[in-house]
Amino acid sequence: MLSLFRFIAKHIAYLYFLLYCGISILLMQLQRKETLDAIRERGLAMNASIAEQLSNFTAIFTLRQDNEQLLLQNARLFSQVMHQKQELSDAKAMQAASSEAPEWARQFKLARIVDRRFSATDNMLVIDAGSRHGITSDMTVLTPDGLVGRVIEVSENYAKILPVINKNFMVSVVSDSTRTLGLLSWQNGDERIAHMEHVPVSSALKVGEQIATSDYSTFAIRGVPVGRVVRISKDKLFCNIDIRLAVDFSSLSYVLVSPAKPSREKIEIMNGDTGRKEQ
Amino acid sequence: MVMLVLVQHFFVSRLVILHASPDLLAVFIAFISMSVGQKTGTTYGFAAGLISGLFTGNIGLSALVGTVEGFSAGYFHVPDESHATWVKKRRMYYIAATTALLLGNLLQALLNDPLSLPLYVRLPEMVIIGTIMSMLLGTLMYNLVLKKLLKD
Repeated sequence: MLSLFRFIAKHIAYLYFLLYCGISILLMQLQRKETLDAIRERGLAMNASIAEQLSNFTAIFTLRQDNEQLLLQNARLFSQVMHQKQELSDAKAMQAASSEAPEWARQFKLARIVDRRFSATDNMLVIDAGSRHGITSDMTVLTPDGLVGRVIEVSENYAKILPVINKNFMVSVVSDSTRTLGLLSWQNGDERIAHMEHVPVSSALKVGEQIATSDYSTFAIRGVPVGRVVRISKDKLFCNIDIRLAVDFSSLSYVLVSPAKPSREKIEIMNGDTGRKEQ
Repeated sequence: MVMLVLVQHFFVSRLVILHASPDLLAVFIAFISMSVGQKTGTTYGFAAGLISGLFTGNIGLSALVGTVEGFSAGYFHVPDESHATWVKKRRMYYIAATTALLLGNLLQALLNDPLSLPLYVRLPEMVIIGTIMSMLLGTLMYNLVLKKLLKD
C-alpha cells in the first residue's frame, strides 16, 4: 500500500496530465450538449460585451469613415427608392399586387457588428441584436449590397453570424439571365471569391451574370444578391465557377437581419427528399 | 490569468500573418511550468485553456492544448534548490517555451481546421510561423518582465 502511495506521489504530474487530457477530450466530445451550449452562450455574450466596449472606444476614431459610408448607403437607397417610385407610377395596374407585399419587407432589423474574426482559429461575426430584438436562428443577414450570412447562435442581446466566407456555409443560388441553379460555397484564400458548385458543363451560364439566392434555399429569402460570375472553366462533368462576392467583408460595419424565412412545410419536404442538406 | 486571456483574445490573436498569430498564453504557461514545476504548470495550462475556450467556443481543444503545453514545458523545470544561474534559467525558459509552442501549435493544426486549409499548408503556417511569432513575443516578455522574476 505504501509503495502504491509512493508511486502515485512520484508520478503525480503524469496523473494530473492524464486527468486533464481526459476531461479535455470529454469536453470535445460533449461540445454539442446543452450544458456546454449554455456555457458557450454565456461566453459569447461576455465576449461580445467586451468587444462592444472596445469597438465603442475605437468607433470615435472611425466616425468620419462611418459617416461617409452611411452617406453613400443613403444615396444608394435614395436612388433605389426613386427608381421604384417611377416603376410604381408606370404600372398602376400592379398596385393591387404591391399592396399585398409581404410584411417582412418592412421589418428588416438594423444591427451593428461588434466583433469579427477572420483567422485560422476563428471565423465569425457577432452583432448587437439578439433574442430580445426578435432575432432567431437561421435568419438571413444581408446588406444593401448582398448576402452576408445566416444567424447560427443567439443570446439575449447578441447573435453569432456564420458568414458566406466560412467553409461550413452553403446556399442555393440562381443566375439572373440564364437562370442557372447551383450551390454557393467558399473554401479558403481570397475573401472576395466564392465558388458555385453543381453546374453541369452543358449550362449556358456566362461570365458577368449576377447571382442571387434561389427559391430552394432552406434559410434565405429568394432574390438576395450574392455576387457576379468572374470565371468559368469546364471540368469533366461540372463547371468550376468563381463568384466575386457582392459584400466586402473587410469593411462591414452594419447589417440588416431579415425575419422572413422560407416556408417550414417546404423545408420539411425538402429535407425528407434530398440527401445533401444546405448548410 | 483572466487578464492575459483577454489580452490574447482581443489584441494579440488579431496580429495574424499567414493564418498564424502569436500565443501569449502558451508563453505564460511555459514560464509558470518551467519555474514552478510540471504539476502546477499542467494545472495552469488546463485552467488557462478552459478560460480561453470560453471566448473561442472551442473549450475542449483549448484545454487540451493548454494541458499539453504546461506538461511539456514542465520537463525543463529548474527547482529553486538547484541554485542554477539565471543564464541557465534563461536557457531553460527558451527551450520550455519553444517545446510548448511547437506541441501546442501542432495539436491546433491537426485538430482545428476552420478555414479547411490542406494539412501541408496548415502545418508549416501554424506550427513554424506561429511558433516564431510567439517566440518573438516571448523574448519581448522575457526582457520586459520575466527576466526580473527569474533573477529574483
